[in-house]
Amino acid sequence: MAFGSQVTTRGLTRRSAALALELVVPAAIVVAWWLASSGSTSLYFPPLSKIVSAFRQIWLFSHVGPDAGPSLEHLAAGYLLASVSGVVVGVAIGLLPSVGEALAPILEALRAVPALALVPAAVLILGIGPSMQIGVIVSAAVWPVLLNTADGVRGIDPQVNDVARSYRIGWRDRLLRMVLRAASPQIVAGMRTALSIAVVMIVFSEMVGSTNGIGYQLLQSQRAFDIPGMWSAMILLGILGYLLNILFRGFERGVLAWHRGMRGASD
Amino acid sequence: MTVAFADRPARGRAKRPGPAPVIGQRVKVLGIQTACVAVLLAAWQLAVVSGAVPESEVTQPTAVAHRLWDMLATQEFWSAVGETAHTWVIGLLVSLVVAVPLGLLLGASTLLYRMFRVTIDFLRTIPPVVLLPLALLLYGAREQTALLLVAFGSVWPLLLQTMYGVHQVDPVSRDVARAYQLRRLDFVRSVLLPSAAPFVATGVRIAATMSLLLVVGSELLGGIPGIGAQIAVDQTSAAQIPSMYAYVVVATALGVAVNLLIVRLERRVLSWHSAHKSQQEA
Repeated sequence: MAFGSQVTTRGLTRRSAALALELVVPAAIVVAWWLASSGSTSLYFPPLSKIVSAFRQIWLFSHVGPDAGPSLEHLAAGYLLASVSGVVVGVAIGLLPSVGEALAPILEALRAVPALALVPAAVLILGIGPSMQIGVIVSAAVWPVLLNTADGVRGIDPQVNDVARSYRIGWRDRLLRMVLRAASPQIVAGMRTALSIAVVMIVFSEMVGSTNGIGYQLLQSQRAFDIPGMWSAMILLGILGYLLNILFRGFERGVLAWHRGMRGASD
Repeated sequence: MTVAFADRPARGRAKRPGPAPVIGQRVKVLGIQTACVAVLLAAWQLAVVSGAVPESEVTQPTAVAHRLWDMLATQEFWSAVGETAHTWVIGLLVSLVVAVPLGLLLGASTLLYRMFRVTIDFLRTIPPVVLLPLALLLYGAREQTALLLVAFGSVWPLLLQTMYGVHQVDPVSRDVARAYQLRRLDFVRSVLLPSAAPFVATGVRIAATMSLLLVVGSELLGGIPGIGAQIAVDQTSAAQIPSMYAYVVVATALGVAVNLLIVRLERRVLSWHSAHKSQQEA
């Protein structure tokens, strides 16, 4: 029993040592920032303490409802729309190689549109507001999902299809359990790229054409020379980006659990 | 269960150059593709001409083409394209110079990797446009603002791909290098760099797309001379809406051209590499 407890304590110390190793650099950066900026009189790099208090004032929680809420809502709507339509069209194109081949130049060109350049056109067409923001997110984030899905579906081993046919598996099962599943590593990879694009698009579209949102707040405080306020919005967006990434990693682990198992736990 | 393995081998097979397709068949495909593009353009044209989409919002393709043709003769157009291309190339080069050595270092040392993992993870998830207001304060409407954004946006995919490439070094080559007591610098030059190269190339491809987006975006919002600024200016007057679309088309053409260029370059430079089939998206 003594031995057992010794092992667990040792495991625990090792784990906390590993954690300490990973957290020492971020902690050092924050401390260095705090110390280096503490006496700062520079307009653009205010003391971190001021930024933190601005953060508390603005984002805990008076502006969460009017600004952070809409941002997240539009981001979620645009991202989901892009993912779903990307998967649907991608599966169709993947299953019909001749259609994919015929549309290849168009898809290649549409994917290469620098989506931020479309924001002024989107403001003209859809006006300022949520539909424009969701529109530009979809127009930018749909391509990685669509092309990756098509690629994944096209890459399914033909033998799998033959087996499914000889067992007379219905098209619905074939689609949901076979095609989507086999293509899921690529679909998820596309969705990961799409997520970071979507975040860029929501922030940018709020800066250019919106009357609320975190991006709007960020640019407004810069224009009003409220520099601590600007920094606090930057920090909030950084934290949001990080949290979304962690959430996505959880989603990925859930969806691809079978795939990781098949390939061994190495990656 | 077989499904799980399906994507990998099949992908490899799809990539393998098969017997050269008959020329007639290639012409046929090209014809179909052209027809699809034509149908799309015709539908766009029809939507605007019929009034389904107001002309004040969307310009029909013939008018865009016409305007683009006129623009090709102007100094303004070429200087805008030049500015954008310049910022883009310099930004990519800066991030390459920063990211690749760092990636080699962090990829080779487990200790360093673990120390910086959280920091890198945090920094790379920050949407780069977040830096735009700060960069505008620091540098104003000048190229440096866009450069800062581009460098910040493209350094992460390059860094991660380089690290990943180092991790993929064949353990056998590593052992051989050790057995022959290869010097560190020689090891880096003749084992590490070559095997990481295709992964770095993938990173360059990802970073190039990202950078173009960020250059155009910061020009647009910050009024920095270039394609983006032209789009922002043209948007404000009704007569210039066709120019706005023409510049969007040009930016897209730039993106397509660079994609093709990088893929071709990759194929030529890395044709010797067995891992060249790698298509990991970061």
